[in-house]
Amino acid sequence: MVIDFNTLYNFPSRFDRMFQEFFRSPMGDDRRFAYPPLNLSNDDEAIYVRAELPGVKIEDIELTLTDKTLVLKGERSAPQGKYYRQERPSGVFNRVINIGVPVDRDKVTAAMTDGVLTVTLPKADEVKPRSINIEIA
Amino acid sequence: MSEITKKEERNVPRYRPATDILEREDGFYIYIDLPGVKREDMTIDLQEDELTVTGVSRLGQGEGEHFVEMQFGDSEYVRSISITDIVDRERIKANLENGVLELLLPKVEKTQPKRIEIQAG
Repeated sequence: MVIDFNTLYNFPSRFDRMFQEFFRSPMGDDRRFAYPPLNLSNDDEAIYVRAELPGVKIEDIELTLTDKTLVLKGERSAPQGKYYRQERPSGVFNRVINIGVPVDRDKVTAAMTDGVLTVTLPKADEVKPRSINIEIA
Repeated sequence: MSEITKKEERNVPRYRPATDILEREDGFYIYIDLPGVKREDMTIDLQEDELTVTGVSRLGQGEGEHFVEMQFGDSEYVRSISITDIVDRERIKANLENGVLELLLPKVEKTQPKRIEIQAG
């Protein structure tokens, strides 16, 4: 049989527990919060929203941009078969991201690479940092 | 050079990636979530009965980016799976697509039952 069992009881063995301690991210156990995990960042030009969505096709993701929010919706389906172990999350997901800065709605792009979705929301011109020339009288 | 890469890799957190193991008629299927891992950044080793998958994800963010919220980052994924004798080791197939590694472990073809003729002495 394919081992790596533990299917019925989710007791981590002492060995597993040791490794879990070891493998934990230094940022705390953020991973358990909501699905999918998100990274939000920005630079001078744009706001970036990244989500870990391995195995989800970009066509199966619905992105809605409202006035102040970006809604990320979709469904992850599980493969069919007789399961020995199922750890990968499946089902419908929905996350709402607040966007506090005006964005250029027509230039929003989304791309999926290696199971990571990146949504780029370019900032509207009025909030971009500008240098102003000061004329000396 | 290899020492430097080793050090770099040690700095990223390690995870046991989420894994599904299931059986269909043609064999066992293993699905492993490896978001952000490229094909060249992963290895699959089969030693005796132990199949080990490792991968490093690089998210590659631009310069001057400030993070407001960070729920995932660069990480190293390691997972070992013991496999049974009825798996045909020569025909294991692996396919990495969209951050999910699919492994197909076909079963060894069963030897056909054979009738043994009895010679009359």
